[in-house]
Amino acid sequence: MAFSLTVNGNRHTVDVDSDTPLLWVIRDELGLKGTKFGCGAGLCGACTVHVNGQPARSCSTAIELVDGAEITTIEGLSEGGNLHPLQQAWISEGVPQCGYCQSGQIMTAAHLLANNPSPSRDDIVAAMTGNLCRCGTYARIVAAVESVAGSVGHYQPGQEGA
Amino acid sequence: MAMNRRDFLKVSTSASGGLVLSLSLPGCATVDTGYSENAGTWRPDAWLEIQDNGNIYFTLARVEMGQGTYTGLTTLIAEELDVEPASIKPRFAPVAKEYLNPAYKLQITGGSTSVATSWEPLRRAGAEARYMLMMAAAKVWQVETDNCSTQDGRVVHPNGIDSLPYARLASLAASEIPRIEVPLKPRSEWKYIGKQMKRLDAEAKATGTAVYGIDIEQPGMLYAVVTRPPRYGAKVKSFNKADVTVHSGVKDVFEIERGVAVVATSYWRARKAQRALQVEWDNDDAITLSTESVFHHYYKDSEQDAGVSEREDGDYAQAEEQAGKVLHADYEQPYLAHFAMEPMNATAWYKGDAMEVWASTQAPDLGRIAAARGCDLSPGDITIHTTFLGGGFGRRLTNDYIEEAAAVSYRMKAPVKLVWSREEDTQHSPCRPAMLHRMRAAVSGNRLEGWHHQIVGPQILDWYITNAAPAQYPWAPKMLYNTLGRVGLAAEGLATPKDVSAIEGAIDYPYQVPNVELRHTHSDPGFPITWWRSVGYSHNGFAVETFMDEIAHELGEDPIAFRRARLQNQPRHLQVLDRVAEMSRWNSASASGRAKGVAVFQSFGTFVAQVVEASIEGSEIKVHKVWCAVDCGQVVNPSVVSDQIKGGILFGLSAALWGEITLADGKVQQSNFHDYPVMAMHNLPDVELDIVDSNEAPTGVGEPGVPPVIPALGNALFRLTGVRQRRLPLKASS
Repeated sequence: MAFSLTVNGNRHTVDVDSDTPLLWVIRDELGLKGTKFGCGAGLCGACTVHVNGQPARSCSTAIELVDGAEITTIEGLSEGGNLHPLQQAWISEGVPQCGYCQSGQIMTAAHLLANNPSPSRDDIVAAMTGNLCRCGTYARIVAAVESVAGSVGHYQPGQEGA
Repeated sequence: MAMNRRDFLKVSTSASGGLVLSLSLPGCATVDTGYSENAGTWRPDAWLEIQDNGNIYFTLARVEMGQGTYTGLTTLIAEELDVEPASIKPRFAPVAKEYLNPAYKLQITGGSTSVATSWEPLRRAGAEARYMLMMAAAKVWQVETDNCSTQDGRVVHPNGIDSLPYARLASLAASEIPRIEVPLKPRSEWKYIGKQMKRLDAEAKATGTAVYGIDIEQPGMLYAVVTRPPRYGAKVKSFNKADVTVHSGVKDVFEIERGVAVVATSYWRARKAQRALQVEWDNDDAITLSTESVFHHYYKDSEQDAGVSEREDGDYAQAEEQAGKVLHADYEQPYLAHFAMEPMNATAWYKGDAMEVWASTQAPDLGRIAAARGCDLSPGDITIHTTFLGGGFGRRLTNDYIEEAAAVSYRMKAPVKLVWSREEDTQHSPCRPAMLHRMRAAVSGNRLEGWHHQIVGPQILDWYITNAAPAQYPWAPKMLYNTLGRVGLAAEGLATPKDVSAIEGAIDYPYQVPNVELRHTHSDPGFPITWWRSVGYSHNGFAVETFMDEIAHELGEDPIAFRRARLQNQPRHLQVLDRVAEMSRWNSASASGRAKGVAVFQSFGTFVAQVVEASIEGSEIKVHKVWCAVDCGQVVNPSVVSDQIKGGILFGLSAALWGEITLADGKVQQSNFHDYPVMAMHNLPDVELDIVDSNEAPTGVGEPGVPPVIPALGNALFRLTGVRQRRLPLKASS
């Protein structure tokens, strides 16, 4: 079946089975490999993207449920050559180890800051705890989010894909 | 390890002009790897290549799975070459003899060996290259080489004003051979080693552009999934092929050695079609184990077979006869899964007379053997391309997923990406072995006179050698692979290194006790096992450091004072133990409802002492704080060391709190993160780390954070509750 999506501002039409998870559409139909497969059950957060500005586990979101939606992936955060402040913080705080979960971590953090520009430590933990990291980078993730809290202005979920 | 330059460095000119340094490590020179030259313009053994366009390439012989080799090894060569580490472009090594890990004679990344084994040769290569560039410049300027200097990628004229960039000198330098042993920089002149350096892979990983095995695409690529037997050892009897092939997108359904493969035009179509697949299994050789039967088996074997004596100081039996009291404890530790975030996967492309494989693997040369098993080619016909690894933790030393991808591509004659689901990874991956430890201590008055440790469980090499032995003899015909494995096991400890996976951390019991006996009763239930972050140290650490705590308690001594008194000949243990006592204010009481526990343990040459403070809140164990002192010799990158030790602590805590793969009727009962929990952010304790200053050679940091935290937490819970838990994972109420 044909579905249309706007991903990182670009319109796409894909012809896939209606129950295909958004994750595999993003990765294998559109070739955007930054979004990762971790558990296939919405348990680890590695596949987190934004759907109409809300964080979603793309591994457990069927394409038919997001037909016509605006999607932002990790690649869309840094479009235009400027890294998102969180991405810069991830680099300067040296967050990634194996790095596999970090796209999902950053997407969750970006949504948090877009809605709560000055989150408390508890707010950060509450928002981020569903994103698992097996290397144990959590403390640096918290530090990176705190380092940009209050300074994220240019990125608003309502403008995604615009 | 001192090396003669002529033993290991070769100099040549690259295809594009420029300086190429290649190396051969001692003892590996006779190994024919059959590398086929199709990797582009660079030579596979080009360890360091300085091109005349200014690019500096460095071949990373140890894979990057999060542990920081990409940054750490690059820093070593950059330091002596005198360039910014970030100006070097690392590339992942193909399989070639030059990249064997000298600790294992295999091209594997594991055992926390990367920095320790690269420390000397990489700095030496950097220093030699720098000196050759200086010689070239000296020739251009007609000056003495030793009067030249370097600064950030340029050779500086003795006049201090003129300079030439390395790029301009690269091809000229290729004809220069230093006639002296080029000295390495003294520690006081290091610009990058030991400094807080940013990770060189951070940007790629923060922007989603780092390429992992699962991200590989090839033209016309198909996708495969495999249904494997629920009980290990079962074989395919029959399956309903026709019911599966009718699904849209399905290209083929067929049996391979390890199960039934479903091949389709997309991953999702392969998965959906797989749901319709029904396999009838021949269970004649299948395991029927349960967790209870595994331990029943261990106890029975431990009584019938005292095991191989691995260490004997004094006479334990006599000490026990003369003892005022004998203490006993049995510790049971479960099978553990790895749960690397990137599920197992590989992409293979069979091209008739050759095969290319792209995979996240810790052991590319064993991957070649695995691929050869899956097709009609020899290892020399197979090229393995490694990528970034989405976690390894030992799981990716076993290349079963490469064997499967190769077998499917061989059948399809097309590029195939094969992906395991998380459930498949949980249920069909080899585990850290379940182990039983039976401890006895002979005590007289307040003296510990004897220590007896009987380890009961399998050896990992038994499961690993089937691919490891052929990888050491890649020219051997495939029909000999299984024989090589048996020969390898027979020659263990003679021709090949002894498998210490069951006893490491117990054989080096550090405490001064007059009578020590260590025995290993080899008992293998038949469930697949492999390496797991810190391997044998992970279970021996719990047994040794918990039993030490039990004895201290029995003697009415403080756990640290008791250990200190018996570590007087172990200055590096003592140093970290004293440091952690100070950091944690050991002698000050914890807040009400909390208690502290301690452990000190050496693994992979690194000394780690930890104090854990915990409480029980409702039905959950809460870990509040971990203090950790570590001595890993000289530090290449303090932030990587910190990340690795702290990451190891969280990895160990996940195992201590929740880690357990259980079996029922031969089947693994867990399937995904909901029933195999790992540390999440809301469980995160505060971790305070101190890396003690050292002039010793660097030792591993990827694994040593793991072992002590498990007994330290158990010891804290004992102080909190008065109940000793001798079975992992730990419970809030026992």
